[in-house]
Amino acid sequence: MPIPQQLGRGDKMGRGPYEKSGIIRDNGLPPNRPVLEQFEIPFPAEFVKKDGKDVTNILDYDMTVDIELIYEPFGDKDTGITWHKVTKKITLEKGGV
Amino acid sequence: MRTIRTTAVLAFLALPLLLPTGALAAAAEGKKAKSIDELAKMYDSTGCKQCHEEIYKEWEKSLHARSIYGTGRTAATIKTTVTVGLMGWKHSGVKKPEDVENRHLAICTKCHLPQLADATDDVAKEIVKNVNIFMDPKSSDDAKNKAEQQLTKISINCLVCHQRNAITHKWVDGFPQKNEVFGSKEGSHPDPAHPVMKKSPIMSESILCGQCHGLGPNFELENPSQCGTLYGSYLWAYRAEGGQESCQECHMRKSKLGHNMQSYNDLNMGKAAVDFRVETLGYIWRDKAKMIPQTLVKIEMINRAGHAIPDG
Repeated sequence: MPIPQQLGRGDKMGRGPYEKSGIIRDNGLPPNRPVLEQFEIPFPAEFVKKDGKDVTNILDYDMTVDIELIYEPFGDKDTGITWHKVTKKITLEKGGV
Repeated sequence: MRTIRTTAVLAFLALPLLLPTGALAAAAEGKKAKSIDELAKMYDSTGCKQCHEEIYKEWEKSLHARSIYGTGRTAATIKTTVTVGLMGWKHSGVKKPEDVENRHLAICTKCHLPQLADATDDVAKEIVKNVNIFMDPKSSDDAKNKAEQQLTKISINCLVCHQRNAITHKWVDGFPQKNEVFGSKEGSHPDPAHPVMKKSPIMSESILCGQCHGLGPNFELENPSQCGTLYGSYLWAYRAEGGQESCQECHMRKSKLGHNMQSYNDLNMGKAAVDFRVETLGYIWRDKAKMIPQTLVKIEMINRAGHAIPDG
């Protein structure tokens, strides 16, 4: 959202409309321009030493990720409205060198 | 003597027929509304429902129909505007809610109730009084309901967009008159209060909406405020970059919402506003000697609205 500048001065965000004048920055989605977001989510795993070597024991090779785009008009999820929801299943290959 | 008396009676009977009604009468006499009820009467658009029933029902569902009360949040913000803003500022002239005048409340009402300009300061005080009753946790349910009823009597109704704000360039197109309604055609209009129908050159243009939906700080106020910035975003981030559609095109026509012109609350509007594409990739990252299993989630969003999302 356009983060409003408090009374058009300084580095503080204004509160109600009565304090807002200007924009410090806008972290929303501009029209017609792609916005990319990336997330890296670790699989559950334990890391141990075996014969002096690092060994990773993957506890689950499958992961389900729900990705939601939620519009939060009042800045909290209680009042949020889900515009898009995508569910992806990801599976790691077993074996390998 | 008898003749004179009869003539006088006839003159009094004829007078109401000659005088215009409602807003026209008030405007003709330069009168200002002194109460919420008088302002509601001055801008009474309930008569529109008789012929434009479907449109009227659409509008009733919109936030325009409760622009002072809103979802409750608008009323709450008016309260904090008074208590935190106006009463907290040294030079505002407001020490207590009863001190609020129209010029103070214009921070909100420039857009939430532009017709307040046709009222006395009494109406600003009455609005603040009702907002305080509505927001006070000690108020009884009955008192809250009555306050809510008062606040929802006045709103952005038919006459605000189709008369008061229907002309932006008044030196070119003329000043809207109280017996006129503005739409897409010229001609007569079968409403005794508004018998003249005129074509507004901006009824399908974004500038109509831009009057309220924000360029930034409202510098015409003694203490500028800024609620929305959508119209500024529309001009400089959308039109300037090649966008061609109008507010009405998306919020009324394509959405099929008509005069119930919703935005984020309507799920279809929300879905249509943003292209949302997700890719995932599971892989094992080698951090030196350590193998770390992880998923990459890549999300691409393209805002297809004619302005930044969200606004606020």
